[in-house]
Amino acid sequence: MSLSALQTAFETYLTDGALPSNELLEQVRGCTALSALEGLRIYHNAYRSRLLAVLREDFPALQQWLGEESFEQLALAYFTAWPPRHFSIRWLGEKLPEFIGSYIAEPQLSPIRELAELEWTFTLAFDAQDVEALSLQAISEFSAEDWVSFRVSLTPSARWLRLQYNTLALWKAAKSGDLLPVATQPAGNRDCLVWRHNLVCQYRSLEPEEASALRFFVEGGSFAELCESLSAIHGEQAPLQAATWLKLWVNEGLLKLRATIHE
Amino acid sequence: MSKHKTLGFGLGLRSEYYQQILEQRPAVDWFEIISENYLVSGGKALYFLDAIGEQYPLVMHGVSLSIGGSHNLDMGYLRQLKQLADRIQPQWVSDHLCWSRGNAHQLHDLLPLPFTQESLLHVAARVRLVQDVLERPIVLENVSSYVQWKTSSMSESQFLSELSFLTGCELLLDVNNVYVSARNQDFDPWQFILELPHERIRQIHLAGHSDYGQYLIDTHDQPIADPVWALYSKTLSYLGPTSTLIERDDHFPPFEDLLSELEHARAIANGVISRATL
Repeated sequence: MSLSALQTAFETYLTDGALPSNELLEQVRGCTALSALEGLRIYHNAYRSRLLAVLREDFPALQQWLGEESFEQLALAYFTAWPPRHFSIRWLGEKLPEFIGSYIAEPQLSPIRELAELEWTFTLAFDAQDVEALSLQAISEFSAEDWVSFRVSLTPSARWLRLQYNTLALWKAAKSGDLLPVATQPAGNRDCLVWRHNLVCQYRSLEPEEASALRFFVEGGSFAELCESLSAIHGEQAPLQAATWLKLWVNEGLLKLRATIHE
Repeated sequence: MSKHKTLGFGLGLRSEYYQQILEQRPAVDWFEIISENYLVSGGKALYFLDAIGEQYPLVMHGVSLSIGGSHNLDMGYLRQLKQLADRIQPQWVSDHLCWSRGNAHQLHDLLPLPFTQESLLHVAARVRLVQDVLERPIVLENVSSYVQWKTSSMSESQFLSELSFLTGCELLLDVNNVYVSARNQDFDPWQFILELPHERIRQIHLAGHSDYGQYLIDTHDQPIADPVWALYSKTLSYLGPTSTLIERDDHFPPFEDLLSELEHARAIANGVISRATL
């Protein structure tokens, strides 16, 4: 059997087969300690155990929701549907939230998928690109022209989620080792940000008004335009509200400069 | 004797110990990283890698090269590996003599090759390509194995010896892997080591395994077993001082326990070298 044929037969056994093909078995020289089948089975078991361990680490809340046995069934079905393709096992769970859509039925589907999306978002924030976040020190040195021209975006680690369920409460309970609350659907979607600041992943939900202001600002609005957009509600206090939020977002490490500041 | 200058006694760099290493500056001569853990855009891993790399020599040890795979080499992976090497300037870059990717899937395991002329020529061509991209010799490690292929026409050590001759690659001798494979497949571990071209051995690995009575599994989650220490001692008496690294990948003990194992390796090496100079 050629090298290529041997590897194909072994790969098929690892990823699909409950039993190795006769062609593969015939290639193995059994020995006293391990028969051909026992030796192959060690690799077969190791493949699943290794992948399962990574998914358990990346989706602990999902596992708590489903229970170990159901989580394992989901994982094994997922490995068959989406076998790992990336050289780094870190990307193993990338398609799990999407796969859940075809594996679980409503009414469980939507809240479970949302929880999986939240957990995967944390893994993305954890090792996203490093950038220098906009600092209060930098703002304090802005000239009058800088205040007119500066534009911001979210830092690359930031992910914006629109949650339909009490997913953050579910995730927090799992993280604390508490029993998960029942999934509920509060009125209206909830904006939630996940990002990394000073090497640590952060998250928080936003009230609709703050979410709207932040979205406007990071999509290219100037600070003056932000103040103007807030004036309908806040009147003369609009600049104060805009400054309060700006200070909060900067302190949280959420923003990076994207427009040239005058030297 | 190994022709290489020894780095001394090192540990695998694992995130569980990042903070302690930076705060306590432990007496470890060097650290070895799992390369794939640092092929990321940013965050904690790269931060600690840079900080620890300022204080200790580093070596890159990969698990995804799949040098023996019959698929095309992943050039994107190789380019990222080169970028990481340019960033941290490792003492050397290593991976395993195995295959870890099939035609369609990453199998995330170190799978055994048939040791045939076909495999040798195939792997040699890939080693040359990898060395061209990385602009340095690759260091290849013998893996633990649980099957041997009937088509093999040479031993793993003979294969490594031929490969090194054909390509100039260097060798990472994992003493625990030799012991595990020898027990599982009933060969003489010392004969294996004698068959290697000792002047090409750049580094030694030590690790723990799990003993299931009839067979062993290379788990890296236990202290190093006594027979492995004994084989290490005999190996050093043959090789002379050789850069030695202890790997631990699960059931992480207090860092002090790993430092004690490292001291034990030092003591063995000192004893062997003292005897040799008497």
